[in-house]
Amino acid sequence: MPREESSKATRRSTRSSSSVTVENAEPNESHQPTVDDLTFGDESITVDAVLSNFPGRRSQILDLIRLMGPLDCPTLPVMIYGSASTGKTSVVLQVLRHLSRPFVYSSCRTCYSPRILFESILNQLLLHRKCSSNGYSSAKRCDKPSDFVNLLREALGNVIESLESGSGTSRPDKSDGKPMGKMVYLIFDNVDLIRDWDKGSMILQFLFSLYNVLKMPQLGIILISGLPPDVYYSNMGYTDPLPLYFPEYSEEDLRQIFLRNQANRKLYAAFLDVVLKPFCRVTRRLEELSTTFSSLFRKYCEPLDDLGISPNEDMKRRLYSHLKPLIAPCLNEIFRVSSHPHDGDTRGERRQKASYSSENREELETLDFHMSVSAKFLLIAAFLASRNPATLDASMFDSTGGMDNRKRKRKASEKSMEKKEMAEQEAVMKGPGSFPLERLLAIFQCIASVGDSSFGEEEEEEDEDPTGYDKENNNLMSDILLQVSSLCDANFLIKSGSCPLEGSIRYRSMVSEDLALKAARSLSFPLAKYLYRR
Amino acid sequence: MGKEIIPAAEKSLNLIRGRLCDPSYVFRPLSASSDSNYSKLKFIVSTSITEGCNNSILLLGPRGSGKAAVLDLVVGDLLEEFPDSVSLIRLNGLLHSDDNCAFKEIARQLCMEHHLLFSKMASLDENSQFIVAMLRECGLAHKTIIFVLDEFDMFAQGKQRLLYSLLDAMQSVTSQAVVIGLSSRLDADQLLEKRVRSRFSHRKILFLPPSREEFDGLLEHLLSLPADSSFPNGYVSRFNEKIKNITSDTRFKDILRTLFNANSTVNSLLKFIFRAVSLMNLESGLLSLENFKAALSSMQRQPKLEAVRDCSILELYLLVCMRRLEVKEQSSYKIISVMKEYKTIHDSFQTSDYYAQNVCLRAFEHLRERQVICYTENRGQSQTGEYRPMKLLISASELHQGMRSHACCPAILLKLLDH
Repeated sequence: MPREESSKATRRSTRSSSSVTVENAEPNESHQPTVDDLTFGDESITVDAVLSNFPGRRSQILDLIRLMGPLDCPTLPVMIYGSASTGKTSVVLQVLRHLSRPFVYSSCRTCYSPRILFESILNQLLLHRKCSSNGYSSAKRCDKPSDFVNLLREALGNVIESLESGSGTSRPDKSDGKPMGKMVYLIFDNVDLIRDWDKGSMILQFLFSLYNVLKMPQLGIILISGLPPDVYYSNMGYTDPLPLYFPEYSEEDLRQIFLRNQANRKLYAAFLDVVLKPFCRVTRRLEELSTTFSSLFRKYCEPLDDLGISPNEDMKRRLYSHLKPLIAPCLNEIFRVSSHPHDGDTRGERRQKASYSSENREELETLDFHMSVSAKFLLIAAFLASRNPATLDASMFDSTGGMDNRKRKRKASEKSMEKKEMAEQEAVMKGPGSFPLERLLAIFQCIASVGDSSFGEEEEEEDEDPTGYDKENNNLMSDILLQVSSLCDANFLIKSGSCPLEGSIRYRSMVSEDLALKAARSLSFPLAKYLYRR
Repeated sequence: MGKEIIPAAEKSLNLIRGRLCDPSYVFRPLSASSDSNYSKLKFIVSTSITEGCNNSILLLGPRGSGKAAVLDLVVGDLLEEFPDSVSLIRLNGLLHSDDNCAFKEIARQLCMEHHLLFSKMASLDENSQFIVAMLRECGLAHKTIIFVLDEFDMFAQGKQRLLYSLLDAMQSVTSQAVVIGLSSRLDADQLLEKRVRSRFSHRKILFLPPSREEFDGLLEHLLSLPADSSFPNGYVSRFNEKIKNITSDTRFKDILRTLFNANSTVNSLLKFIFRAVSLMNLESGLLSLENFKAALSSMQRQPKLEAVRDCSILELYLLVCMRRLEVKEQSSYKIISVMKEYKTIHDSFQTSDYYAQNVCLRAFEHLRERQVICYTENRGQSQTGEYRPMKLLISASELHQGMRSHACCPAILLKLLDH
């Protein structure tokens, strides 16, 4: 067919010609950024719109607007602080959208070093956009605060000049997103992350005194921090900015926030009546609650055929009784909602931890990620090495491959049993012990040889060396050393300090008993026999 | 929003806020008297300019007491008086404590003043030779160079090479230079090395907080509107009248006294007035006493209390468990011991709030993020997260207060805290 042939012909064309015909996906080649781009960009909104967008933040929004003042009013630096997901960044950006004032936003999370931070701010002020024509480089190279201050002063001067000349034309209408006024605002987000940077305390001092160093009344500085201002106190002292606090949402605010954008508000309100109070006792963070609620709401609506109806009392009771068994276990999960409602609690009573119910038993049985057989054995070996004292290795792992004569025959008195329990608990409390690599490998070889014979068969299949040289063990050894390093990367093993006498590196196992039990169960390995109990 | 905002209110707000953000306006009345720091400093610098000698001074005082502002006033006046024989070089210890940066910056500013070309590639030695040469030339031309070193104590860290070279050049070369150091450390001159200190004239000017009368005068100076024609007639008089009423009120004097008991520098007063003025009622255009009260309460923040008030109930449980462990003479405890205590409480009091291990671990993370608890030792991850010792960062009374003002704290927790 002619059409196919022509398409085939284009496919066979050379690389250079095909690169010409491909559409160059550079959307902004012709668009040079101007001063007008320093604002939020969209249409400006009224104060009422901002207030209704953020329920529960009324006083903070009005405070912020008052602190920033009317047009062209000089302002002292402001610091906005509060814990995560309390709406700090979005409130600041929406308020600036309402006021239509030019600003430069940079987050210390994406700009993770001083050089990137300074260059990002300068790029925005110098209206420079990184594109292929300049090789995606910044306008100016700047990694020291001294250079930054000089370049910033220049760039701000240019921007303010162009704002002043631009505002000569009368612009009575505020709603077209063009910048108003002659002041420029610098917003630094996630300032608390600077503490972990290299020389972070110097950079923080510099940021706090930026306003005094520059001495430009047309500059406003807003700092957003996840930590309260008292963590920034250092022995150098600084002129602290004006603080503005964003508290966590109260229950009433959370209810309003969750009710927004819901298709069926009455149904969701009934749902919230059931779940909000118990979950608020655990955490009041918005992002954690919203992940749980979204999956719980789906469960809640399961018995309903029509999601658009508003429920009456009877239906509410029915839905509540359907959801009720899920709530308690869901309170104990962090991100998941278990899919099987439990039916029958008898097996759960034998568990020591009262919070797990029987439905979690299946999840307890299996590991929810995949590990190779040798890695599982290594994990168990590490766990045993951390739990058992080293002096007992010889008797535990003797050539018969197991211990079976550790059980005490005589009946111990109650007091000594109690003492032993306390001693055991104290040993558990001290945490996992450390062990050198040789001990780990020795235990591993011991238990791996005890393990099921299929392990040995696998080895023989993999080994293709025709010379019967003892390559088996060597292959195994290098493989195992690789596995040790990957377990270290996955944080199942950590390197603790080296022993001062021996000088070799010691490892410590971070595996919890549950995980070791799961791994052992999947290999049908009798872990309990090897655990040392006093 | 049916109320009208008086345009004069916005203008007066702009004016007052502009005054508050301009340090030289703020400190002008304080410098008017004849024995103030302003006149002392001006005398020293102007004599060294007129007599053509070298000098070095330190301005010391707590943060926000106006050292930089007074210096700016003096320098501004001197630049007017002697327009051709003064040039100014400004350095800041935060930015230029590294010797390379400092010399480069001095060379750059000298080049800018004398319209020379500055090369960014010049090395440290070239820059220092250039500076010494410029000092000699300016000395021969009877031109004084004033070096202003902000955050002087930062320059005194390390090898103090910049200080030594400046002070040495002043002594050996025919130069006319004045070195003015500003620092908030009152012992900044003790930080100098022996050879630097021997070349330093031990002149110090201390900046102490102003007295109460000076503060009252300052308030009036900042808040009264000028009687010019840009404001409507009755408005200015009404505004100034209201200010007089407020400042003579005893409640206002109490507010000021509370403020000064905490921080008596001029800077804190400025922040207080800024906050109060931002709350001005724009419909009437007048300040009121409530504005000042609200400003005071916003300045008296208690972050740890706020953090406790923001905790969820599970987090409060964990805090109470840690406090109980502390009472039992354990200064640092691990998460598993806290969990054991939590379980004991649950068993003995049959509370309904018993949650699983991973939820409690997440609650611990939240508490750590808010800096209410922390790990006691930071020497790297030698132990897994559950076995690292932690400690409380808030005291028992703060915990008490926070829990009492918490929105929905269960009564049993308060009982547990008191035993």
